Formats: sequence, C-alpha cells, structure tokens
Amino acid sequence: MTRLDPRPGERIDRSRTITFTFDGKPVEAFAGDTIASALYAGGRRIFSRSFKYHRPRGEMDWAGQGASSLVQVDGAPGIRASSEVVRDGMVVEHQNAWPSLDFDVMRMSDIAGGPFTPPGFYYKTFKWPRRAWPLYERALRGVAGLGRLPERQDDREWRTEYRRRHCDVLVIGGGIAGLSAAIAAARQGADVVLADDDVEPGGAQLAEGGHERVRALAEEARAAGVEVLSNAPALGFYDGLVPIWQGDTLHQVRARRHVAATGAIEQPLVFKDNDLPGVMMTGGARRLAALWAVRPGTTAVISTTGDRGLDAALALREAGVEIAAIADLRPDAADRELGAAVQAAGIRLLAGMTVVRALGRNGVAGAVLARVDPTGKATGTLEEIPCDLLAVSGGTAPATSLLLQSGAKARYDAATSRFLAELGDGVVHAAGAVAGHEDADAAAVSGTAAGLDAVVALGLGGATAKRELTNERKRLDVLPPQSPVAAPPAYARDGRRGGKAFVDLDEDISAKDIAYAVAEGYDSIELSKRYTTVTMGPSQGRHSQLASIRVLAAVTGRSLDDVGITTARPPWSTVPMGALAGRPFEPAKRSAVHGRHRELGANVKWAGDWRRAYDYGDPEGEAKAVHDAAGLIDVSTLGKLLVRGPDAGAFLDRLYPNRVSNLKPGRIRYGVLTSETGRITDDGTIARLDDDSFYVTTTSSGAGAVYNWFTWWLADWGMRVHITDVTQASAAMNLAGPRSREILQSLTDADMSADGMTYLDALPAQVAGVSCLVLRIGFTGELGYEIHCPAPHAQDLWDAVMQAGAEHGIRPFGLEPQRILRLQKLHILVGQDTDSESTPFGAAMPWIVKLDKEDDFIGRWALERAVEHPASTALVGFSLPDGDVPAEGAAVLDEGGAPIGQVTSARHSRQVGKVIGMAWVPSAQAEDGAQVTISYDGRTYDATVQTSPFHDPEGTLVRS
Amino acid sequence: MTLAFLDPSPKPGAGRWVPVARSPMEGKAVAAGATLERRDGWNVAVRYGVPRGTVGFADVSHLRKTEIQRDDIGTPDGVATRADGAWHCVLTPTRALVIGGSAEGLDVTAAYCAMTIAGPMARETIARFCALDLRPQATPVRGLRPGSVARTPGFVIREDDDRYLLLVGSAYGEYLWTVVADAAGHLGGGPIGVDDLLELPDA
Repeated sequence: MTRLDPRPGERIDRSRTITFTFDGKPVEAFAGDTIASALYAGGRRIFSRSFKYHRPRGEMDWAGQGASSLVQVDGAPGIRASSEVVRDGMVVEHQNAWPSLDFDVMRMSDIAGGPFTPPGFYYKTFKWPRRAWPLYERALRGVAGLGRLPERQDDREWRTEYRRRHCDVLVIGGGIAGLSAAIAAARQGADVVLADDDVEPGGAQLAEGGHERVRALAEEARAAGVEVLSNAPALGFYDGLVPIWQGDTLHQVRARRHVAATGAIEQPLVFKDNDLPGVMMTGGARRLAALWAVRPGTTAVISTTGDRGLDAALALREAGVEIAAIADLRPDAADRELGAAVQAAGIRLLAGMTVVRALGRNGVAGAVLARVDPTGKATGTLEEIPCDLLAVSGGTAPATSLLLQSGAKARYDAATSRFLAELGDGVVHAAGAVAGHEDADAAAVSGTAAGLDAVVALGLGGATAKRELTNERKRLDVLPPQSPVAAPPAYARDGRRGGKAFVDLDEDISAKDIAYAVAEGYDSIELSKRYTTVTMGPSQGRHSQLASIRVLAAVTGRSLDDVGITTARPPWSTVPMGALAGRPFEPAKRSAVHGRHRELGANVKWAGDWRRAYDYGDPEGEAKAVHDAAGLIDVSTLGKLLVRGPDAGAFLDRLYPNRVSNLKPGRIRYGVLTSETGRITDDGTIARLDDDSFYVTTTSSGAGAVYNWFTWWLADWGMRVHITDVTQASAAMNLAGPRSREILQSLTDADMSADGMTYLDALPAQVAGVSCLVLRIGFTGELGYEIHCPAPHAQDLWDAVMQAGAEHGIRPFGLEPQRILRLQKLHILVGQDTDSESTPFGAAMPWIVKLDKEDDFIGRWALERAVEHPASTALVGFSLPDGDVPAEGAAVLDEGGAPIGQVTSARHSRQVGKVIGMAWVPSAQAEDGAQVTISYDGRTYDATVQTSPFHDPEGTLVRS
Repeated sequence: MTLAFLDPSPKPGAGRWVPVARSPMEGKAVAAGATLERRDGWNVAVRYGVPRGTVGFADVSHLRKTEIQRDDIGTPDGVATRADGAWHCVLTPTRALVIGGSAEGLDVTAAYCAMTIAGPMARETIARFCALDLRPQATPVRGLRPGSVARTPGFVIREDDDRYLLLVGSAYGEYLWTVVADAAGHLGGGPIGVDDLLELPDA
C-alpha cells in the first residue's frame, strides 16, 4: 500500500469511500481520487499497452497531458485514467491488450516485430498477394486503434449541450497567471470567463507548495464575478471563437479579448527504455504525492536539466521517497542555491550527468547515469543505481498551440532551447509560463498585467486600469531572471545494444524511427511528422514535439531554428465526435397543413429545406384520381413575393424576358427568369392584383434566391417598388380534376363557372369562410385551381375542401404523382429539366422571349446571340414502350454511341400507357417521331421523340 | 385588389364556416397539455397548469405583425420602441415591423411565428440555440437583435429583464418549439400559456 498520511492541500476526501471495478475486480478509492491514483495506491503500475509494440506503460505526468493510461469507462473508450475522477459503480476496463494488461500476447510485435514495422511499414507491407488483402485488412482492423466501441449502445441519452457565451475577456488556463489575469480584468468591470482543464483551478501550484495561495485566488475570482469553468479544456481558436468542452457541454465562447495562460508542459528525456512504468515527470511524481497522497516510489533517481528536478527531489523526500541520486545536466548545478540545498539535505547530486538508460522489464528497476557528449553519447563511467522510480525533467515547452492558432508566430529561443509564440497586434494576450514567466510570483505579475492589458484595450477601467497596468509592467521588468535550464541532448545513450529510446509514446516512435525516415528522404519536419506519425497521437505532441525536432535536427545536422515547428491545429484536446457532429434538430420548414399529411400516412421527405408529402402510399392511384375526379395537393412551399409600387410593372419587365406590365389586373401569366447570360434560373406565375401590385410565385427551392435577385436589382435601379416575401405567410393548395369546379363552388359564393373564372384568372374570394386568392392555372393538366390563403387558416381550408370533395372521390396527392402529371404535360422543373446552360430556346419555350420589348431586360443581349447561334441540343419529350423507366441522368447517345444528351425526367404513366420522359437530344432530332437511343444500366433503348404534351395536347381540359 | 388573402384576422361574411386561425405550434402545444381558448379568431394556448420556476416559453404567434415600407422610415438603431401595446422595430431605413397593436400597413402576421421566453434562465435557454449577444451590456431592455435564431433567420427583442420575444419564419414554428422545448426542458423549464405572461408597459 502506497497511500500516504494526509497531505496539506490533498484533493481526496478520506471520509468518503468509492468503489469501482477494474477489469472486473473491485477497487477501493477515496472521493477525489482519479482512476489511476486509486489503482496506483492499490499497487498497479501498468495502466496500458502501447499502440504498436504493446509495451507496458505507466502514467507519466499525472495531469492528463499524456496518453499512457487510456482506459474504457462504462463502455466509452479512450478515457484518461490520470484525470478521470472515480464514481461509485464505475466500470473500468483496460484497452489494447489481450488476454490481460499484465500479459499481452501482442508484445511479440516488440520482441520480434521490429523489422516488419518500421515507420511507414503499411506503405510497403501487406500488399502481396493482392487477393489476400481482405484477410490482411481484417487482421489489421483487429489490432489497430485504441479501445473499442460497444457493439450495442446502452439505453442512455448521449446528449451534447451547446452553449453560446459572449464575454469581454476569456482566460484560458486557471493556474496562478490565469487566475491573476481574471481577477485583474473582473475588478475593472469586465465580464470574464475562465476555463481550466483540471477539476479545480490552480494549475501547477496545487502540487508545488502553492495550493493555499491559488485556492484563495480561485475564491477571489468567483467573488469578483468571474465565471469559472473547470474540467473545461479549450479545443482551439477559430477566428475568435473558442470552443470549450466540459462534461457534455460544448461552450462556444466569443470573447472580445483572450488571455492565454496555458502554461508550460514539462518535457521528458529521450534515453533507452524511457517508457518503462516507473518513469515519470518530476512534476507528475509531485502531483501524485501532493494531490492524491500516494507515494510514487520507494527509491527514486532523478534526472533533470534545471531547478525543477531539484525542487521535486526535496518535495518527494518530504513525502517519504528515498532519493538515491540526482543527475543534473548542468555542470554548475552543485553551486546553485537549490543544488546546495539538496546536498545539505544529504542527497547525492551528480552535476553534469544525465540518465542514458532505464533498467527493468515490466517496470523500472534501476537507472544508468553518465556524462554525455553534445550528441548525447555517454562518455566516461556509467553508474547504475537501483530504483523503482525514475523521475525526469527535460525542461518545459510553453503550451503555445492556442496562441499559434490565433495567429501568433512560432519563434525559436536559443537561450532556453525551445519554441515560443510571438504575438502580433491581435486580440490575444499571453500570461505566465507560456509567456516565459514560470516562477509563481512572476506568473502572477504576468497574469495581472495581461488581464489589465486586455481591459485597457477594451476601454474599460479608465485611468485606474492604465496606471495599474504601467505598475505591473514595471514589476515584470525587475523580476529576477528564471534559473537556467540546460538543453538536453536529442537522444542520450550508453552505446550498448538493446532497448528503445522513445520520442513519442503515443505512437511508439523512437529516435531511430526518425533517423530511418530521414534516410528515406522524409527530412523536413512536416514530412517527418506525417511519415512517422510523431505528434499525431492523443496527446498531440505535448511531450513529443520538441523532442522530435531535436532528434530531426541532430540527424540532419541542422539547427532547431532551421528545422522549425509544425502547424498548430485544433482540436488541442480530445473531444467526442458527437460534440462536433451537431444536434439532431435540423431546421425544417413545414406547411400549416403538415399535421394532416402525417395523419394521412404521407411518405414525407425533404424537398429543399421543406418537409413534404411525396405521396400517400399510392402515387399512381393518386395521379389517376386527378384525372378521374379530383385531387388536392399542398403547394404551400411555393415561393411567393408581393411586388408593389408605381414602378412594379416596369420593374418586372426588366427582370423577365416576357412582358408583365401589360398584364391586366386579375390575370396571370407564366414567367421564366433568366440570368444575365440568358440561362433559365427559375420559373413561376405572376398575377396582377391591381395597377401597382403583383403576386409572383417561384419554385419552392428558388424562393430565397429569387427574392435576393429582385432586391439586388431593385437596389441598383432604385425604382419605386417594395418587395415582401410572403412565402411562409401564405399557404396554397392545388385542387385539380374534372370535379374540382363543383367542389370549389360548393365552398364559395364567388362565381367559379367557366365564364365566371376563366383560365389564367386571379380572383379574391372567400372559400369556406377563409379569405383566399384563387388562381386558375394548371400544372397538372386538368381543370384546376391554386387556392392561396393565410397560413393560419390553411388547415381549416384543407379540411373543408376534403370534406366537400369526399362525395366526389377527392384524394390528396403528393409530390410524386404531381411529377407524373406535369411530365404528361411536358411542364419543366427548373433545375431538373434545365441546367446552368439551358436557355428558353433550348427548353422549347421560344414564345416566352419577347425580343421586341422596348426596354432592356436581364439576359436580352445573350438571348439575341442565342437566336443567332442556336444550341446543339434541345429539350423534348420522349416515350418508350411500357417497361423499364430509365434513370434521370441516363445518357442519350449519338449514332456513334457517344453521349450527346441526357434524360432529365422519366416516369411510367398509367394514363398514357407508356414510359414517358424529357431529355436533351441533338437539335436535329428534336422532331416528333424521331428516334433517339437512351443508354441505361448497360442496355440501350430506342425512344420516340414527342414535342407536344402526352395528355390533352390541345389543353382543352385545363381551359375547360 | 384586396390583400385580405394574407390577413388571418376574422372577416365578416364567412357564413356557416368559422375558420380558426392556428399557430404553427398548435399541435406541439396541445401535445404538451395546453388549454386553448379562442381569441380574436385564433386558437391561443392560454395555460398549462404547471408552474415554471426557471424558464417558461409561450407561443405568441397570434400577435399581429404589420410591415410598413416607405422611404426614410427611420434609423435601424437596434432599439425597439414600445407604444400602444406594440413593439415598433425599424429594420432598415425603408422597412419597419410592428408587433402587436393594430398599425396600418401590410399584414404579415402569418409570415412569422413568435415565442416569448421568460424567467431567470431565459437567457441561458436562448444561449442553447442562438449566438446573439443578449447580455445586458450588449442588449439592454428594448434591444432589438436580428440574426440567426436556431440556425434560421429571425430576431430577438429583449422585452424585459428576463423576458425575450423571438420571431422566425412561420414555417419553422414546429421546429422552433422542438428546439426551445429541448433547451428549456434541460434547464428545468417548459411551456407556459399567454395568461402567465405579465402585461408590458409602454414607454
């Protein structure tokens, strides 16, 4: 048992015991323990198996920065055991090992698999024989990846809450710098949010002797009104939007200013077998002892490049760990203040030395220390020291990813041998260790200055804030310099065979692998990264980026500055795919009659951004009802625009190729809109309501575009016109069929006789007590009325029409039967039967283009050219004998078998008794009776061209 | 020619028919247990009988909305003024929308659905589906904010300290209810009737 006596500032609550299971066995923990701290306290040292070689791995930093202790929790894979707090009844299982964590068969890949798995091995292996690939793939899928999703999800709600939050200042990072920044900003009246990725703010100081100070600061921040988000890592910087993932909530924070107090990440050292369980960062060992009161080891060797390791040695000794020796790479370590202190405490300090190998098989049993030359090769005597804890510190790397994503530039700092972020004049400020101020007091001053800098930039706090900012900057200038840190060698080694020196533990990439990649030609940092996958694992290079750059520099003989750094990209922290995939609520428009369609069992599908009834289970029967009696379809989705004003008619004349201004009030005209290049963009009807008012309909999916088109040109022409989009205000339904007149007449006092309302009349009328505009038009080819009414009355109107039509055999019909009906009449669907090259001439509507109009209109010039240069294809109808219906998009072939056109619409028509359709065919064949060849599904069909409608070609019925 | 075909208010001469004006959210309201009453020709959800301590949302789609278009109507300054029981919103220099009351202009009542969200968690609820900055320092009472509401074009008026009026296209009514009910539900809230809303004072 390695649980220590109560520690000041510990995070556990010893009065509450929690029980969870690990691989089926119960584990006792205290409230506040993490999975890893509880398991470690119980004696477990191996937490996972590595990705490729299945080497045993322990926990390195105890801060959730690494990925050496990923486990499955309650069915969810990839959870960091070192940061996941325990809950009663939690079911925890290991990942990536079989049959068990302590004995994994796949360890063979480490012992024997080396030659088969160099970097990029998957580009070179498993290629032969080709027919064996399905076998290889199955095997690879079985061994690849980390963790498994359960075959069947439990019945639970996987819900992501999305929360938008605006604020004046967002502080990212809740260490001493971040807390100081937040307090400084809030005191000046700013609305501040602070996001920290740990269970409580405080950062490194929580485990390094400053817990009382930072916990008091956290209270002060809350009292000042700061919204503190814990367990809330920031995922990235997206042009001022910072998503923060907390539990099951994605906070989308938009701040006017940001303070990045993201800290600096302690770096490992690269030496042989540096991945053995028992190798930890010095900070990690301190956290384990301070926060969870677990002794990290009995006897420790520490290898460090700076004061960090010396300070840790004293702290660990106080926690009951025997310190066998400290290797400090700095030659003058013994002369430094902390060096003298550790020696005075009786700890053996080996200045100028570093660790070159860890000893042990499934855990650390000892460390080999030596002096090394600048390349890292051991010189002189090797000293082997037994230990069960090897705590290392290779300095720190500022956590600059978010700053770099915000636009800061990476700059190599030779003095500290690491990369810093150079800020521009943006909206982001840096504070604390990420800005180079690692000492607690320096970080606090730096944070206060950054918070004040942010509020002054926002114009808050007045003269007081400016004065305080000046003072803090002066304090920063006189702070003592940081103690020096030696640059570790890229790869320290004792020259003996055996062992692997890892650069990236996540991806199992060793220093040798990087050298291998360079030898193959992948010698730039971006190529090397992609070829070896270094830094691409779950920890995203937190512990491997700097090390990999050092190795690449050493192997290529370049400086770190020359090698450079890869592009920082989000997400910086793990986030479930579900959080990014969005909520299941898709914006959907529904007509006011939609409820009735559902009740009638309609087959509802998307039509643009509307939900529409495609049919009611019998599309051919529904179409037949329209021919035989009456049908009712909800066409509320049509775009509808009110165009009003003294210049309304002239305005529409400029937009349409035909004339509108000569339309009489109470009359309707079909219109096709063309682009400036004379191509069809939309179609619909125009009804003149009075001298100055027109009611324009558009296609359902074109409503928005047509409104934009109209308002755009109106802004340019400055005519006396007002446009109102009433698409959603007005519902519409089409009553069609030989009985439609009787049905409608029974619902209104208005004269619906053939003389009272002629074809293309527009008449206001009360229908079933509802104020309507009735348009006598015919998309279906039968006698029909399009009835427009206020959307709130549509359901009652629908009910009244259906009730009145019941005795006549009325049926509701949907989009699919409507498509059959319109196809029989060769009415085009813009966007389906036409494309961006279709002119009214090609689409068999030359009559709609009035080139003799006095005034100019959109597309006129292009249409005049089109007359002079006819297109090579034309839109026609075609028929096939009853049988297969060619797919829309099937090719029309020329005599040589080359595609020359395509089928745009095709259906079987019960009414016509054959397969009918529309297609673009060579103009020479656009004549009644011509034969064209359609190619579909590997076969060819001989179709017969028809240029007149298949049903009622004279239009007698629709005009009746 | 009359534009009565756009106006859902009751008309004389309906004869034996008594058409009812229905909000696009009516089906959802009924399913949630609303008591409906006929008011000015509309079915209005007046109460649910369940107190909501954190946040309540009420369908107020029946509110009359009038569009006024003329030159130089005013400056769109992000402020809705309240007069005669209505909100006057200048949207562009030539277009204004009046919500409530009985203004002269084009009746666009049916073009929008409307919802009032009120309670201590009202702003948090709206933050679940809308990125408009509705903090008091950015949107004081009577602030008018056009923008994306639940991924659709709409706008928000801050009617009072913890009360907001949302408008989106009426065809989105059922969708808006679904989104708001989901957001409010997870914050302990639910639908309320119009009779649960307090009268707002004029300026």
